[in-house]
Amino acid sequence: MKEPSAPNTLIHVIAERCSGCRRCEIACSMVHCGIPTPQRSRIRILPLPRRTGFIPVLCQACEDAPCLKTCPMNARLRTAEGAVVTDEESCIGCRACLYICPYGAPTVSPDDGKTLTCDRCAGEPGGPWCVAACRDCGALEAVRPEELFVRGSRAAARTLRHVWSPPRSRRCAS
Amino acid sequence: MRILIIGNGIAGGEVAFGLRRAGSADEITILSAEEVPEYDPCSLPYFLGRDVPRPRVFRRRFEDYSSAGIRLETGDAAVAIDPQARRVHTSSGREYAFDRLVLAHGGSLFVPPIPGIDKPGVHRCKQLPEADRLDRHRGSAAVVIGSGAIGIEAAEALKKRGYAVTVIEVMDWILPALFDPETAGRLKRRLERCGIAALTGERVLRIEGTQAVAAVVTDRRTIACDTVVLATGIVPGVALARTAGIEVGRGIRVNERLETRVSGIFACGDCVETVDACTGEDAMFQLKHNAIEQARIVVRNLRGEPAAYPGAWAFARAHFFDTHAVSFGKTTRATQCELGQLEIIEREAGEDYLRVILKEGIIVGGQAIGRFADAAGLLIGAMWRRESIPLLRARRELLGGPPTATPWTTRKLGELLGLTG
Ligand SMILES: Cc1cc2nc3c(=O)[nH]c(=O)nc-3n(C[C@H](O)[C@H](O)[C@H](O)COP(=O)(O)OP(=O)(O)OC[C@H]3O[C@@H](n4cnc5c(N)ncnc54)[C@H](O)[C@@H]3O)c2cc1C
Repeated sequence: MKEPSAPNTLIHVIAERCSGCRRCEIACSMVHCGIPTPQRSRIRILPLPRRTGFIPVLCQACEDAPCLKTCPMNARLRTAEGAVVTDEESCIGCRACLYICPYGAPTVSPDDGKTLTCDRCAGEPGGPWCVAACRDCGALEAVRPEELFVRGSRAAARTLRHVWSPPRSRRCAS
Repeated sequence: MRILIIGNGIAGGEVAFGLRRAGSADEITILSAEEVPEYDPCSLPYFLGRDVPRPRVFRRRFEDYSSAGIRLETGDAAVAIDPQARRVHTSSGREYAFDRLVLAHGGSLFVPPIPGIDKPGVHRCKQLPEADRLDRHRGSAAVVIGSGAIGIEAAEALKKRGYAVTVIEVMDWILPALFDPETAGRLKRRLERCGIAALTGERVLRIEGTQAVAAVVTDRRTIACDTVVLATGIVPGVALARTAGIEVGRGIRVNERLETRVSGIFACGDCVETVDACTGEDAMFQLKHNAIEQARIVVRNLRGEPAAYPGAWAFARAHFFDTHAVSFGKTTRATQCELGQLEIIEREAGEDYLRVILKEGIIVGGQAIGRFADAAGLLIGAMWRRESIPLLRARRELLGGPPTATPWTTRKLGELLGLTG
């Protein structure tokens, strides 16, 4: 009866490294649709206001995912690997999953209006294609969930030190 | 322990199967008034409109119950509870003993006292057998009474099935519980463009017809039709709880562990009265996600882990043909009797529309049509975090500064609300 509640592969996003090149979108649509069509990509690059940065947005497969509870067709499913995907046979394209998503992650398919989300390239021997496509920038990394905390905190500490380093006079004497 | 669950809907099913997932070895029985395994009422309009085949409405199969060791008693409704003897009596005259009881029997359709409402041709679509009956019915002109989410979804389904459809709403705008008139007016125009007539501020006086339905008479006109669908709202089932002397308000009253005044009797789903997770006010949001979350709290308490329910949340999509809209939190009408400075932020781009309601600088609700709706999650997040919009406005530079200084969700929120200038 035990069901996975969290993914066993996560894609760790290091947004500061994203150049906005959108190679991930091309790779994603290639692996899922066989043709390079960024509109069908399950990862999307969101430019920040005035293009001050870029944010790769993709389904985080939340532990207590609200889309699983709000889909009127029960079409949002947790896979055995822990990803959260749309069952296209049941999806009616109502976008409830998109509207309740804290990141607006699901992509609406331009073909039939159904939603598409990241399945971590389940079954691909080389792992997620977007990660491979992002090798040059290194904004995407495939990690195990337990690694994520450590990496995330280290990265945050690095940038925070840079942004908010305390004035010299207030530094602790050591 | 013997755990008895009344109602095999969203909440009841989640309690039973949630208990097993949590490792419970208790004796679990579900008492169901219906003959089928658990289905999703939210899916019914889409089966009716032939968007999906009928089997897609089911959330479980009979085998799921037997393989989980859950006893499912079908076609027998609970009629009375004896809290002292710890027994439930059913309509067939049977008795079920329990150690813990879970009331998860939902609500029922509010049937307005309109003359002619019992005529053949008057349908409902709250439960599967009702949707089946409407599915088998052969008509060509339908009047849907009530323009709530269910009424609009039923109207779309019937339109897809080739019916001429008219929706009648007694309030001055459609979807009145979910949207303000400004948003609803736009949705009404889009509904009419899809060929569905929407009459607002109009009251149904009677349903006419010698044998079956032939017309609906309102205070303004007579509409010839052969089909009527009642979508007049859901009222929580409280009668059963009263038989046990359990306190009821609009719904069954529960404490934060979702236990009623009678120890060992819990309640969850459409039958309970709870609180708004954002405001702490009394709330009756009869929505699927709330039923599921409440059921999970009941499971934890039944497992002996004291768990408090944080409250229900209002969130609903409105979707018909190529129109996509969403509503969350409060409408302006719902904030009317409250103190505090209201501010409305509106944005419009072509046919897309955004309307955000702030009280004392905090988002308390919002409505969006089209592209703006795609970012609803950011607004809902800001509402839950009680982010101060005046502060964002005052510190506009943070919205454009280095990416690490402000979370991207806040920066996008600023852009969405037009604060970035
Ligand atoms: C057409 C329709 C569309 C909807 N769309 C949405 C939507 O898009 N999003 C959303 O969030 N919500 C939606 N809802 C609401 C949602 O379905 C409910 O909030 C949810 O089903 C509540 O779950 P529940 O278990 O409390 O009640 P229900 O799912 O209604 O289950 C209660 C069960 O108890 C049974 N029962 C009743 N009395 C007794 C008794 N005395 N003895 C034994 N059994 C009994 C009933 O027959 C029923 O099977 C919709 C509802 C309808 C009708």
